[in-house]
Amino acid sequence: MFAVLHIADFALHAVLRTGPDATDRPAALFAAQQKKSLVLAATASARAGGIELGMTAPQAAARCPGLLIRTPCAAAETEARAALLAVAFTLSPLVEETAPGVCTADLKGHGVSSGVGPPGGRAGRPPDGPATNPAALLRSAAAAVSALAQLGLPATAGLGRTPLLALYAAQAAAARTPAPATPAPPALFLLGEPTEASGCDAAPETIPFPTVPTAVRLITDEASFLAPLPLAVAAPPPELAAVFTSWGVRTLGDLTALPRDELIRRFGHAGLALWQRATGGEVRPLHPAVPPQRFAAALEFEDALETLEPLLFILRRLLDRLTLELHAAQLVAAELELTLQLADDARHTRAFRLPEPTADGELLFRALHTHLETLQTAAAITAVDLRIAPARPLVRQHGLFDTGLRDPHGFAETLARVAALVAEGRVGTPRLADTHRPDTVHLAPPPAVVPPPAPPPVHPELGPPLRRFRPPLPANLEFTPHERQPTYVWTAEFHGAIRHLRGPWRSNGDWWEQDRRWSRMEWDIALADGGLYRLLRLGEAYYIEGEYD
Amino acid sequence: MPPAATLATLRHLLAERFPTVPRPAGATLGTGVPALDEATGGLPVGAITELVCATPSCGGHLLLGQLLIATRATRARVALIDSHDSFDPGSFAPDLLAHLVWVRCANTTMALSAADLLVRDANLGLVVLDLRRAPAADLRRIPSTTWYRLQRAVEPAALACVVETPRACVPSAQLRFELTAAADVSDFDRPRRELTAGLAPTLRRQRLQAAG
Repeated sequence: MFAVLHIADFALHAVLRTGPDATDRPAALFAAQQKKSLVLAATASARAGGIELGMTAPQAAARCPGLLIRTPCAAAETEARAALLAVAFTLSPLVEETAPGVCTADLKGHGVSSGVGPPGGRAGRPPDGPATNPAALLRSAAAAVSALAQLGLPATAGLGRTPLLALYAAQAAAARTPAPATPAPPALFLLGEPTEASGCDAAPETIPFPTVPTAVRLITDEASFLAPLPLAVAAPPPELAAVFTSWGVRTLGDLTALPRDELIRRFGHAGLALWQRATGGEVRPLHPAVPPQRFAAALEFEDALETLEPLLFILRRLLDRLTLELHAAQLVAAELELTLQLADDARHTRAFRLPEPTADGELLFRALHTHLETLQTAAAITAVDLRIAPARPLVRQHGLFDTGLRDPHGFAETLARVAALVAEGRVGTPRLADTHRPDTVHLAPPPAVVPPPAPPPVHPELGPPLRRFRPPLPANLEFTPHERQPTYVWTAEFHGAIRHLRGPWRSNGDWWEQDRRWSRMEWDIALADGGLYRLLRLGEAYYIEGEYD
Repeated sequence: MPPAATLATLRHLLAERFPTVPRPAGATLGTGVPALDEATGGLPVGAITELVCATPSCGGHLLLGQLLIATRATRARVALIDSHDSFDPGSFAPDLLAHLVWVRCANTTMALSAADLLVRDANLGLVVLDLRRAPAADLRRIPSTTWYRLQRAVEPAALACVVETPRACVPSAQLRFELTAAADVSDFDRPRRELTAGLAPTLRRQRLQAAG
């Protein structure tokens, strides 16, 4: 059994899915390379509005004033093909990229997933092993169609004995399906021939499936399915098509009613090939597509983006596809790298190290969203590039006394929000540098697991800790006439007589480096009104470096 | 019906209609400061404790160091929102900083916004908002609704929240302690553990939660 996922007007829908404004408006695809821009494809709502293939842009705009005009975009098509392939891989590991917008999956000998969950969700095999009955195949195909719909690609699926039959079924399902650009119908129509074995006696059978805007068709009675199909379905060469039209042969049933040998004698190999196509073709080996080894997505925008909403829309689309690929490869994302190409040729790159590897599209999207909410670029965004560093999912169980994060992604998001508020590099776990230079500390990301406490220090700490004034407060001092001992201190915040004085303590370092050398003198002072402070001398200037608290 | 009974009935009704994650009543976070733990059993979880540092060198950071020790023992995470970037990691043993998230703010408004985000995080056991060096004018300008909003955010969380201030200014605090005794120059030579044990915060306010 083969399954075909088919997206009619693929180039048009590949472009439309990159914009949030194209869901319910009539739209048409125009040739961009020719001298006259003609309609190449149109949505059903555009056709209902009077748009026909081959119209010029002015004609189309006059017929349908609200028409969305789009031109083919190679990057969007590449992205849509990757999305289609990602969904096809959830049906079977043996998948062929037959044509743009057409993927064929060989279901023979493989269990079929019980459901392709929504992007970001978990897809899994049915618990009772490979599903081979037609109802299970229909459900799997319907789930794949649903996943494509969520990726912005209105698709149909066909199931048949041969790849060609499955393709015919998918095309026939598209012909009997409501327009993809219209709002999603409340039910999925599983269109099957009325046989007892198919498990779908009543055609059309309706099952509740609220989000699927298209149909799935399973071919069980090939002859009765093929007979009424128009001859054009078998793609006859033009000269043969003219002959058959003159003979009154209109359908595949009419063609196969003719004697096969006579047809071959008159038309040779072309006649034989057409005959075979008219009977549904033969089972053939597929050209297997290679599952993605790199998890990356890139897209260039026709119009540069100046606001956040369309960028988030695109990123969500890209992430949904990438997470599907991760699920299919049984991997998770350990790191995200986002690159934004700006209109002024600058680039903004940001790497997101995830606190816990995940393939949940929602969590990955939140990481991007939190960052982008606070990002301001100097120019509009012309292209986006998203890369995922994959990793094997964690299977380690936390130790009984490990204090890991309860909600690692929530923690990362909180820290990202705080960092956006107070500036990057101002949040984290302090790490003291290996130097005697005072106040040399950097902030590291908090550890995923708090390590066990170290044994108490051999030499207990003495005295109260320092509360630093950053920057140190400039101080004016009054000295005794002879000993040059400070007796009074003035700063912008306080002043008072110095009751006790300890010091000075001299220190210096980095004297071998011209621009980093430092030297200082410190005293600990107690004011008569209360308060212990650190007095600092740098060069000839005095400062209060902090308060012992 | 007397007002107290009406209030109790209303609370009971609200608890039934909007159930939340149950937390043991009166849960506290032990601090290891004898005077504080004996007075209240520790810092209340799901409530704000205000620590007023009324005089210079009265031991606010000493108490913070003790909180770091207490939470390090249980490996609970601590967030320190440092409104005027005055925390000195060099004054503490590196091991005491392993569970700390230090937020270096530039002003009071920024610190309050960061606190509003952090107290909602389920991974933290203690949030300390250090406003000790905030200018008096800044503190006066904080509307009381901000403090009540913070209290509302803390209530459902399983964390204790400490706000260190130079004068009493948190109307929604369940507990208010005041440190008044300034350190002496002889304290430089005393072990820090001894100094911490000698801290004597005075309990200025204790709001008791109604039963039920």
